[in-house]
Amino acid sequence: MSREKLRQLGIDLPLFPTTSVGSFPKPDYLMKARSDFAKKKITEEELQEKARQATEFWIRKQEELGVDVLVDGEMYRGDMVAYFAEHLRGFEIGGLVRSYGNRYYHKPIVTGEVRWEAPITVEWWRYAQSLTSKPVKGMLTGPYTVMDWSFNEHYPGRRETCLALAKEIRKEVEALIQAGAKIIQIDEPATSVRPEELAFAIEAMHAVTDGLSAYFITHICYGAFEYIYPGMLDIPVDNFDLEMSNSGLYMLELFKKNRFTKDISFGVVDVHSHVVEGKSVVEGRLRQGLEVLPKEIIWVDPDCGLKTRSVDEAIAKMQTLVEAAKALRD
Amino acid sequence: MELLLASHSSYPRIGESAEFQSLRRTIAAWEKGEKTDSDLHAAEDRMTELALSEQAEAGLDVVTDGQIRWYDPVSHLAGKLQGIRINGLLRFFDTNFYFRQPVIESDIKRTKPLIVEEFLFAKGKSARPVKPVLTGPYTLARLSIEGEGKTGGFEKALEGYTAALGEEVAALAAAGATLIQVDEPALLKNTADFRHVEKGLASLAARKGAAQLALALYFGDPAPLYDRLQTLPVDILNLDFTYSPGLVEIIAAGGASKTLALGMVDGRNTRLEDPASVSRQLERMASSLGSGRVYLNPSCGLEYLPRDRALLKLKHLATIRKTFLGSRA
Repeated sequence: MSREKLRQLGIDLPLFPTTSVGSFPKPDYLMKARSDFAKKKITEEELQEKARQATEFWIRKQEELGVDVLVDGEMYRGDMVAYFAEHLRGFEIGGLVRSYGNRYYHKPIVTGEVRWEAPITVEWWRYAQSLTSKPVKGMLTGPYTVMDWSFNEHYPGRRETCLALAKEIRKEVEALIQAGAKIIQIDEPATSVRPEELAFAIEAMHAVTDGLSAYFITHICYGAFEYIYPGMLDIPVDNFDLEMSNSGLYMLELFKKNRFTKDISFGVVDVHSHVVEGKSVVEGRLRQGLEVLPKEIIWVDPDCGLKTRSVDEAIAKMQTLVEAAKALRD
Repeated sequence: MELLLASHSSYPRIGESAEFQSLRRTIAAWEKGEKTDSDLHAAEDRMTELALSEQAEAGLDVVTDGQIRWYDPVSHLAGKLQGIRINGLLRFFDTNFYFRQPVIESDIKRTKPLIVEEFLFAKGKSARPVKPVLTGPYTLARLSIEGEGKTGGFEKALEGYTAALGEEVAALAAAGATLIQVDEPALLKNTADFRHVEKGLASLAARKGAAQLALALYFGDPAPLYDRLQTLPVDILNLDFTYSPGLVEIIAAGGASKTLALGMVDGRNTRLEDPASVSRQLERMASSLGSGRVYLNPSCGLEYLPRDRALLKLKHLATIRKTFLGSRA
């Protein structure tokens, strides 16, 4: 466990620390404000005010629920890749493409050399952290995922695009650390899609994190882990945040064959289901995890961001997982 | 060689304008109970017509219905079969698109047509030949899981899907399809399973009547399998060139015993290929492919692109053909 590293950073967490992956649903007033802003009915400052209000709501709610490591809920973001593409130079925002069912997103296009020019998430992190004494994670999308979820019309290939992005995303990590962030999550949900590219995904994460003083988490989900495990353990982070429930905990079988050597944020609730799992179901999943993993390395969180759930469902799912973690501590 | 332009399979069902947003809005309202089934079908029909007209505008010789009504390439078919329950989301190969996974609860059985009505609608609206596209039995079986009760494992699932799709192929041929495409992207991730794909295709080929059967392979490099692909019981091989640095030279050296559909226009990236460069590659293959028919199409369905870019890619097929023909004149 990297508890020693956390302690050195001044963070002391209980057993089974609870957290969430990053996004929470946007309250109705913020959705309306985003729509009004798109129609030019309100100013950017008015929209930001609503986003601050929603951020405060989620910080207060997480504290109330007893979550240990908080997130800002990403109230200011539409999409986890497009948001960064909008703030880095070298991107154009492309048209809509489908994600699943009736859900669509604007997929960015790399049209020139990518460049970080100013902090992107730092003010939001600073604001969220000012509202609580609990640690708030800095939240970024990693270079491999930004590359994979963007079209590329500039760089010769995928590796070149990914490494160019890594160099720039590191600057955002440095800015977060300078602002005081101790725990930084670099979301790389795309990591598992092309096993043959794992080597440069690792190379890119080195470029982002090497020599920087923070506890690093990476979130990976919905992929063919059997093809990248145990190789993915070479990604230079302290904690892997993994979707475990949606896949019926099949990853535990992989962990039996090859020991899991990092901390794990163990996804215990399915984020694509309206059904709120009972505490006993969540506790059961954690107990299955404990048959394979030592308790000191396990953090507890949802499978993925909760932004597609309703506010009530997201709160209920978080409450269940906090209660399950507390029951295990006792 | 006679170079025909073809659509691959899917086409965007959304775009930036209000007209192109209509299906999304109708589905959202239908989910809330604010629109009827008939409203939904009318919106799907309209979007299908738009997809067909854009393909015609681009000058394609063979079109598809754009799979506008498909929730995804897996559950749209599997969900209509008896014995299957549709479950949570999983990533579709290496895309950022997610499908709902079938759970096999009991024996798989086709109790009603899967896409015949969709095909008939498109056929009635298109002056060009419409190619119906089915996700193949091997890929469906690979992307499914068994439910709580043991249902016989992968091979039983494959048998069930094969029988069901065989009936669908027969129904499509009877409905007037002259070219039916079967997509088996999972083969390129599991090449050791070649015999399973071969067996499945043999069953489908036995039901195709006068129609031609095409096998589409994408999201991977088909080059290592190229020679074995020539032995499969299909008429056309539709191959993804974008993952394959060596495929052009393999074809240039050895030709093909099947009609080829060349997936040389990248359906996953907005960058438009250099027509002169693609034309040179076509030229490299032309002598070994002889005077027969060859299709040029995107490497995969175009749903992974924004609508404006998808249309540009289709129009680019015509530009490439023109460049190629110009170079030979």
